[in-house]
Amino acid sequence: MQARYFGLALMVACLAGATPLGAANMPAPLPIFHEETATAGVGSVYAGDWQYMVGGGLATFDCSGDGYPDMLLPGGEVPAKFYRNISKQGGDLHFAEEQSGLEIDKLTGAYPLDIDSDGIVDLVLLRVGENVVMRGLGGCRFERANETWGFWGGDGWSTALAATFERGADWPTIAIGNYVNRYEEMYPWGTCTDNRLHRPAGTEERRFAAPLSLKPSFCPLSMLFTDWNRSGTPSLRISNDREYYKGGQEQLWHVEAGQPPRIYTADEGWKNLRIWGMGIASYDLDFDGYPEYFLTSMADNKLQSLTERPADGKPKPGYADIAFARGVTAHRPYIGGEVQPSTAWHTQFEDVNNDGLVDLFIAKGNVAEMPDFALKDPNNLLVQGPDGKFAEVGDTAGVASMATARGAALADLNLDGLVDLVVVNRWQTAQLWRNASTTTGRWIQFALAQKPVNRAAIGAWIEVRRGETVMRREITLGGGHAGGQAGWHHFGLGDTTTADVRVIWPDGTEGDWESLEGNNFYVLERGTPAKIWTPR
Amino acid sequence: MKASRRTIIRMALAAVALGVAPQVRATGSGEITSDEVMRHWYRLVLELVRHTPTYSPPVASRAFAYLGVTAFEAVASGSNRLQSLAGQLNGLTPLPQREAGTLYDDARVVDSAMAFAAKSFFSNTGPTGQRALKAMAARMREKSASGLPSDVLARSEAHGLAIGQHILAWSLDDGGAVVENMGFPLEYTLTEGPEHWVPTSLVAQQQLPLLPNWARNRTFATPDGAACGLPNPPAYSEDMASDFYREALEVYTAVNDITADQRIIARFWSDDPMLSPTPPGHWISIALHVLARDKHDAEKTADVLARLGITLADAFIGCWDAKFKFDLVRPLTYIHRVIDPKWEAPLNTPPFPEYPSGHSTQSGAAAVVLAHMFGENFAFEDATHAADGLPPRSFASFWDAAEEAGISRLYGGIHFRSAIERGLDQGRCIGAYANALKTRR
Repeated sequence: MQARYFGLALMVACLAGATPLGAANMPAPLPIFHEETATAGVGSVYAGDWQYMVGGGLATFDCSGDGYPDMLLPGGEVPAKFYRNISKQGGDLHFAEEQSGLEIDKLTGAYPLDIDSDGIVDLVLLRVGENVVMRGLGGCRFERANETWGFWGGDGWSTALAATFERGADWPTIAIGNYVNRYEEMYPWGTCTDNRLHRPAGTEERRFAAPLSLKPSFCPLSMLFTDWNRSGTPSLRISNDREYYKGGQEQLWHVEAGQPPRIYTADEGWKNLRIWGMGIASYDLDFDGYPEYFLTSMADNKLQSLTERPADGKPKPGYADIAFARGVTAHRPYIGGEVQPSTAWHTQFEDVNNDGLVDLFIAKGNVAEMPDFALKDPNNLLVQGPDGKFAEVGDTAGVASMATARGAALADLNLDGLVDLVVVNRWQTAQLWRNASTTTGRWIQFALAQKPVNRAAIGAWIEVRRGETVMRREITLGGGHAGGQAGWHHFGLGDTTTADVRVIWPDGTEGDWESLEGNNFYVLERGTPAKIWTPR
Repeated sequence: MKASRRTIIRMALAAVALGVAPQVRATGSGEITSDEVMRHWYRLVLELVRHTPTYSPPVASRAFAYLGVTAFEAVASGSNRLQSLAGQLNGLTPLPQREAGTLYDDARVVDSAMAFAAKSFFSNTGPTGQRALKAMAARMREKSASGLPSDVLARSEAHGLAIGQHILAWSLDDGGAVVENMGFPLEYTLTEGPEHWVPTSLVAQQQLPLLPNWARNRTFATPDGAACGLPNPPAYSEDMASDFYREALEVYTAVNDITADQRIIARFWSDDPMLSPTPPGHWISIALHVLARDKHDAEKTADVLARLGITLADAFIGCWDAKFKFDLVRPLTYIHRVIDPKWEAPLNTPPFPEYPSGHSTQSGAAAVVLAHMFGENFAFEDATHAADGLPPRSFASFWDAAEEAGISRLYGGIHFRSAIERGLDQGRCIGAYANALKTRR
């Protein structure tokens, strides 16, 4: 019988300044996941050789209108597969493979985004070769829209994406990260190709302008538009793979409406950091209003927190690495007996046990039989305790797969309030786990809606207040590893039955606080009271 | 008028038939020479060192030593002027010989040996490195095999391979062949006491020191790791009047008052693993630049690369012997404890004990060897980091560069002066062993 709690390790005093939401001395509930790969109807492999050693990001989104997340899984050198979610609420996971128009080869990743703000999700497909934007037609059908929307797909090896709506724009801005020059066989190092910034052509045109090059480019594997300093204008955070750049480092760009993008400099406080940057996850872990950033890498992972939070509210972009202190270095396999270090890819903060403290998932897998790194490298599920420290539960929770993972998504696939898990594996079948935890707290989930553009309110912040503590979630599209999600935004509530909730919309408008009952889905439409939504 | 390669080979075949010449050297128009083969492989190897995560500086130095000896023996096997290092290097037994009275192509021999060595000593590089190795092997073979008779080609490749295999077999029991967890032990007991090293990094893997047993490895030209021992560093003290405090204050002040040029120097010699060819690769890069610039032939090229690789490897073994003997605390730890808890060093402090400075020891050894091979006051330009945006630097001599490499560690806040000066001394001692090797008949 599995223990329901993972012990005294987390039953320690709270860190100064961090207020846990659960009872102060209660251990974090142990999540339990059941793998349902064999029965869920999903059989997708991320295949291919050298050019597919990175990527493998999946997209989750609802294109059928039933509220359940559907999925696009990239196939690498073979066509991607679209899966319609046919699960029932609280039931086992079930998907049906369907032809959607998204069955395109050479995909490294995919991100869902309602580009034309018609209320139907579109997709941006990252590829080895030409990137493609796919317009949603409704009913989970899609068509190519590069020409219609003026989207230049290029001929790169695209590995990262971030999207935002710049202030006043009625069309999104999409940053796409490109990897090395794939045609350079002998000396690819130092051949990072240009990242591109696709901005709107103009207020009347509803199409993209010719993209700008983001020079210098350093082979990113993750990008994220994020309002790191709460200025109201997101900046572009880029995590770069030091394997391939020369003279490079991690990057942060000013991206301000009407201005050319401009990189943050050391004089502005940006600190040089060089890692095998592979994925970004963000969350306000310490409830101070500013997001922390988890950066995946090899043999080491970083958890960054602002070094200073000045009273004037204008912090400099200097970050301290608190991964070691918080227990999320995840640098070596915790089971399997290998002594070589780990290789980390997709990462995501979600509250898998609904205790009100977000947990951290990390997809792990060797690049390609690299003997200096673990070949059997289990995924991590690090559960946050009341003291702000994380503890590994991947094995006891049942998600410690030794397959060679790349992309992943944590989303409530069967709309039962528990966050489930999908992982894309290189050369092996993607895996699905249903969150079957029984000892958890309450939860609440939101879909944001606004008109006329940026319908999903990318750039908004959802705030959920419990007692003196405010949980905050920035609505972003980007980060992770080559894949993103659109749909419900999940919060765990612990033992709280009712939470105060508000939205700070992308233009800075603060919505009203509303008291909402937990264990419910809500549509938060701008200017109107929250509406309960009930799954089929 | 240049003779074609086939013409040269026909002439050589005739010479062999007459019993005049035992070998042929094929350097026809459009073909690749042995020295070019070596430089091509080394250029790739410098990238592989940077992009193979286990290749910390000591591990990289080991690879450079074996590659250098491989190249040298491949060239020496066809030369009447070079003398094998077998019997001179610890544990190296006589190498396979060329069959008398038959033809070999030198470039093909060297390429075959180098291709095998590069593949063997970088077998753990990632998929991109493996792809590059295959591409390089194919390109070098295409260039060096073109126009050769099939029997000469097969014989040359087999001989190069045999040399490579002999060197690889020699390497396997030297103590450094297997490196796990990027060189960080899973268990290690730190020595108690304020004078001793403690971790300075927030990286979990680096809470224990890198390669604590590296000093036990078999050396190449020096008798053992302790052959060039060092005097004690200044006695640990927190007394402001002590030498130890004065040295720490010097680091603290130098960093706080660092000039723009000093900051450039610190960066130029930083040579971080996985972000550069590492310190030993930096010196290999310098040697390759000089060898190419002055168009040195295969024999000189092989001699330089062998001696330099050998002394770099011996330097790291000797340095690690001293480092773990004295197990001295780093400036960062001491300064935080005694002078200023918020002080930051410009460079990341490496995860192993302080005394002596590894870069100083190996730079001193490299400078001694290169001065022996090229001259004491040999001016050169060092463009090792040009691709990383660091402008080339000019030096009046190899020792000039070694001293700058040494003092860069003080500017970078990672070493006390004694570690630098004694490190250079240790390198001078270690380099003399490589210089004493007899490579010419």
